[in-house]
Amino acid sequence: MLQIESRQFAVERGLFACIQCGKCTGGCPMAMKTRLNPRDLIYRVLVSGNGFNLEGREELWDCTTCLTCYSRCPKQVNPMEAILAMRGAIVEKGKIHPNVKTALESTFRNGNPLKMPRSDRAEWAKELQLKAFPDGGAEYLFYIGCTPSYDPRGQKVARALVRVLGSAGLDFGILGNDENCCASEVRRLGEAGLFEAMVEENTAAFTELGVEKMFTVSPHCFNVFKNDYQKLEVGAKFSAQVQHYTQVLADLTRDGRLKFNGSFEQKVTYHDPCYLGRHNGIFDEPRAILQGIPGLELIEMDRSREKSLCCEGGGGRMFLEGTNPGTRLAQQRVQEALDSGATILATACPFCLLTLEEAVKHLNAEEKLRVLDIAEIAERAL
Amino acid sequence: MSDSIPSSANGRGAALVIGAGIAGIQAALDIADAGFKVYLVERSPSIGGRMSQLDKTFPTLDCSSCILTPKMADVPRNPNITLLTCTQVEAVEGQAGAFHVTLERQPRFVDESVCTGCGLCTDVCPVITPNIFNAALDSHKAIYRVFPQAVPAAFVIDKRPSPCKITCPAHIPVQGYIALIAQGKFREALQRVREAGVPFVGTLGRVCYHPCESECKRADWDEAVSICALKRIAYDAGRDDEKPQPVPIQYEEHVAVVGAGPAGLTTACNLTRRGYKVTVFDALPSPGGMLAAGIPEYRLPREVLNDEIDYVLAQGVELKLNTPIGRDGGPSLEDLRRDHQAVFLAIGAHGSSRLGVPGEDLPEVFQAVPFLRHMNMGHEANIGKHVAVIGGGNSAIDAARCALRLGAEVQLVYRRSRAEMPAAPWEVSAAEQEGVKLTFLSAPLRVIEKDGHAAGIECIRMKLGEPDSSGRRRPVPVDGTEYVMDVDTIIAAIGQNVESDGLGVETKWGQFVVDPLTLETSAKGVFAGGDAVIGPASVVEAIGAGLQAAESIHRYLRGMDLRDGRSQDHPKSKDIQISPAEAVKRAPREHMPELPVAERINNFREVELGLTAEQAMAEAQRCLSCAVCSECNQCVTACQRGAIVPEDAPRRIEVDVGAIVVATGFDVFDPRRKPEFGYGKYPQVITSLEFERLASASGPTAGRISLNGHPPNKVTFIHCVGSRDRSLNLPNCSRVCCMAVAKQAHLAHDRLPGAQITVFYMDVRAFGKGFEEFYDRVRKEGILYRRGNPSEIVRRGDHLFVRAEDTLLGEPVEVESDLIVLAAGLTPRADASGLAQILHLVQGTDGYFQEAHPKLRTVESSVPGMYLAGCCQGPKDIPDTVAQAKAAASAAMILLNGKGANHASN
Repeated sequence: MLQIESRQFAVERGLFACIQCGKCTGGCPMAMKTRLNPRDLIYRVLVSGNGFNLEGREELWDCTTCLTCYSRCPKQVNPMEAILAMRGAIVEKGKIHPNVKTALESTFRNGNPLKMPRSDRAEWAKELQLKAFPDGGAEYLFYIGCTPSYDPRGQKVARALVRVLGSAGLDFGILGNDENCCASEVRRLGEAGLFEAMVEENTAAFTELGVEKMFTVSPHCFNVFKNDYQKLEVGAKFSAQVQHYTQVLADLTRDGRLKFNGSFEQKVTYHDPCYLGRHNGIFDEPRAILQGIPGLELIEMDRSREKSLCCEGGGGRMFLEGTNPGTRLAQQRVQEALDSGATILATACPFCLLTLEEAVKHLNAEEKLRVLDIAEIAERAL
Repeated sequence: MSDSIPSSANGRGAALVIGAGIAGIQAALDIADAGFKVYLVERSPSIGGRMSQLDKTFPTLDCSSCILTPKMADVPRNPNITLLTCTQVEAVEGQAGAFHVTLERQPRFVDESVCTGCGLCTDVCPVITPNIFNAALDSHKAIYRVFPQAVPAAFVIDKRPSPCKITCPAHIPVQGYIALIAQGKFREALQRVREAGVPFVGTLGRVCYHPCESECKRADWDEAVSICALKRIAYDAGRDDEKPQPVPIQYEEHVAVVGAGPAGLTTACNLTRRGYKVTVFDALPSPGGMLAAGIPEYRLPREVLNDEIDYVLAQGVELKLNTPIGRDGGPSLEDLRRDHQAVFLAIGAHGSSRLGVPGEDLPEVFQAVPFLRHMNMGHEANIGKHVAVIGGGNSAIDAARCALRLGAEVQLVYRRSRAEMPAAPWEVSAAEQEGVKLTFLSAPLRVIEKDGHAAGIECIRMKLGEPDSSGRRRPVPVDGTEYVMDVDTIIAAIGQNVESDGLGVETKWGQFVVDPLTLETSAKGVFAGGDAVIGPASVVEAIGAGLQAAESIHRYLRGMDLRDGRSQDHPKSKDIQISPAEAVKRAPREHMPELPVAERINNFREVELGLTAEQAMAEAQRCLSCAVCSECNQCVTACQRGAIVPEDAPRRIEVDVGAIVVATGFDVFDPRRKPEFGYGKYPQVITSLEFERLASASGPTAGRISLNGHPPNKVTFIHCVGSRDRSLNLPNCSRVCCMAVAKQAHLAHDRLPGAQITVFYMDVRAFGKGFEEFYDRVRKEGILYRRGNPSEIVRRGDHLFVRAEDTLLGEPVEVESDLIVLAAGLTPRADASGLAQILHLVQGTDGYFQEAHPKLRTVESSVPGMYLAGCCQGPKDIPDTVAQAKAAASAAMILLNGKGANHASN
């Protein structure tokens, strides 16, 4: 039996506030295609007496942590966090999918979930001669993250961003091979122990380096540093001001430091990444950057901003297929972008970039639509 | 309505009722029927409140208007009630039994006691604006009646500030003449500007620097309205040869105006119209000041200027030319003051700043102002073939373009860069097109002399240093960069000053020192304005000063307060929010036709040719009507009873009352705060209040439920939008929505035969008398209630889908819908905390006014002597509101009868 003490579990997480209105499930992008039903799950926890059995609840791994459920809840119940806690209980018992196990082990050993060696982490930047933080007292730490460090597609984004920041004269440094995974996916996969250990390790490292201001490529890294570290006792000392790079670029554009001398003559639609938009309310900055680029025409999809459709890349879903590997949400999203008449699907998240690009290939739409990160579009317009 | 209001009736005390919805009306009627005096204060132009917007009431399906209007009609018929609409409470002092209340009545601009409600005004009004009463589903004119059964029945004008009028130094009613031009009424448009005291319409339409256009809100959509060009066509197409008749002199005082420029002539024109005898003195042989002496003919044809000056003079202004004052043998200011009871000094800034370099007194070195004057007065100008103009202002550009037209090769030398040039950018580019060469960052060192004549100019390159006191970067010479320009004529245009010596009035740097509001100088009865006060500026600023001076001089001569009611504080144009009546369709400005460069550079023909009538009408239709009322005054002309009061102003009213009933009602939740429903984005998504107007026989569709003319076939209602929602900090239940939705679902079923009607609900609160029975009836009609509250609305193609979980099925569902009604919750009034401060009322954590005890003192507020009625205390339906209003009236009457003092002060 894989049971949780459901009464205490529900009280601690405020689940008794649930009025069973179903807004969480009505908006859940996975509820339409899998067995996941957040309202039903909460109700079953509430009525289970004092023991709720997690055995066989494979749908817990379907959640993409897109946060639509919480953002719609009128009673401020957070089904996503409840699901993560249930995953935690499963992981604690060691009953996890081999892929999850591999990702967690790699994160523990290599500082990334991608089974890549630590010594290759800064390969992407070897020809760029970037300042090492904090030597020379750089103003910002540029935290790259695992996907932009190792994935060839992600690396292009990181390099584009370096050139954009350079043209604006921003003073930043990187950690190189000393950079460690942010542990965001560790937390989403329910490995609370490893997460705590990594928060402790990273917090100590950042404190010692004297990081005051930092920014990230990935909204996932941004979110975990900004919102999750300080909630743990071992991360209480984490004090750096964290920004997503789109915030930095929007500021540089507004102050006139980042100038676009070129143009980007395309119809662009912007896909709001969950961890930038719903999780952190950053909707305007990415659009401000795009609208500041000469020649660029910004088109909105019906599902934009708060209503953005998850690409299905979050919540550990980069490592797991889930209970319905059929049509991925990213394919639905790409279809929406095609319907909008855009020729470029812009985003600002390495996971979104990979899943959406994959979906474009799957739909044989490479001729009609390209997926680009905002940093890449900005670089083309310098 | 009369200004004097009796302070009490029969000596039995009086009550103030704030808010005239059903709660306020009921409380006022009860108190008045009991023999007490009531002041019923309502901030909107009509009583009736929210109930007047509803179609039917639940659960009895009475027509809301039919049961409300008799009560509304009782209000003006009740001799004990004084109804004050457009009025708000400003301050309350005192205590229970003896409150002193200050009210402010906003202008209605229509005399309620004279208006018969015939509607002739509304027929001629050119402005449409969203109809808020109909939830903006249709529109009405700027002069309107809120709804046909409004009480009072009088019309009202919606008049707001507009950026163009505020920004204009002469505060010309821009939107007024633009609205008239949009209708092709050019003559009326010209008349409208002249009525506003501005005689130089064709002139301003050609030479104004139009600061109004920089603030025009239309630029937020595409480009500013071409206001200046429209003013020009008002004159060009609206003028006729008829001259005004001399105005009869009413007063014995005689006013002297020194200077026949735009400031002086504007003052003279306006004082003459008011019935004063005015004499204008000018040192030059012809009138017009800088308009005549400074502005070249190719920008302002003399025929236009002279026609407008003749318009001023024809009204009876006396003009004495060749008469300098205080110099050159002319009469002194003292002489003028002896013979005139007031003097306006508008002498302009005709002096020139010297270059301060060796050789500047050579015969081929001219100053721009005398050079332009010389030419403009019709004299030959003897200049050479290679001319250097020094300076970057408008006079420099004028001089350069004139020299060019005389056949010279012209170089303009300016010591800073293009960005710092004070000249209007469109003038600079016109000069460049015509062939004037511009040299930036260069300054003259000396004029090179050869045989007593100028033979060139030595200049030095400059660079921009730190900003100086004017905020512009100071030019600094670059050593070793001296060079010689081969020219034979130099025109200096580096500054103008005021020739103010010899008048004996206090000056600073030569400019007269005046009170900025009244334009009074240090000498009693002597006023000054225009360039003579602010230095070389613009025509429109001079005209503004002329208007200011005329008002001051009239007040001065009539012994009135010079400052009362005048202010230079205006709303900031950036704070002005507008909601155009219709979606703004992008349309670029009409292009001003110009004489081709080749046809203009060897003559002084006018360069800008003016818009055609068709262009002008199209351009005028681009105006967004920020001010709503355009002040075109067509209604004034149309009203046969003279009920329109354009000069109506806010008025303070003080009343003494013993008790106060607060009945200020509620606001409707703005569903834009829940973006997942796409309200404001999808036209098919509306609020329940909007549904009421659609269903109402007196609404925009006369009761046909339709969107864009199509009756919907699939109607979905969504409960609890903006209520019971902690994520919005609106945790309370709105109490009326469950039954309102049931009623509306019934109406939809009744009016839309065969339509599929779905209600998504969490739970149905049918707690009142007859409510559950009504809910039963509605379901039996075939309306599908599905349990589950929708999460979002999405659009695919042209279709909208409500996405929810049917919690009884345990499955996510999508329901296609062509009309979606959001049961938007009730919220406290947005300005409830403002009123709470004035009255010292306590608000609950939900924002509603807090009663003194939740069980036992439900109509008493936290302040003794003040009582609560209706939704200002919390959401409630009509029967509960009426009951509470009657209870509040009763509590107030107990106090007024002197029986409740002990209780009230507890």
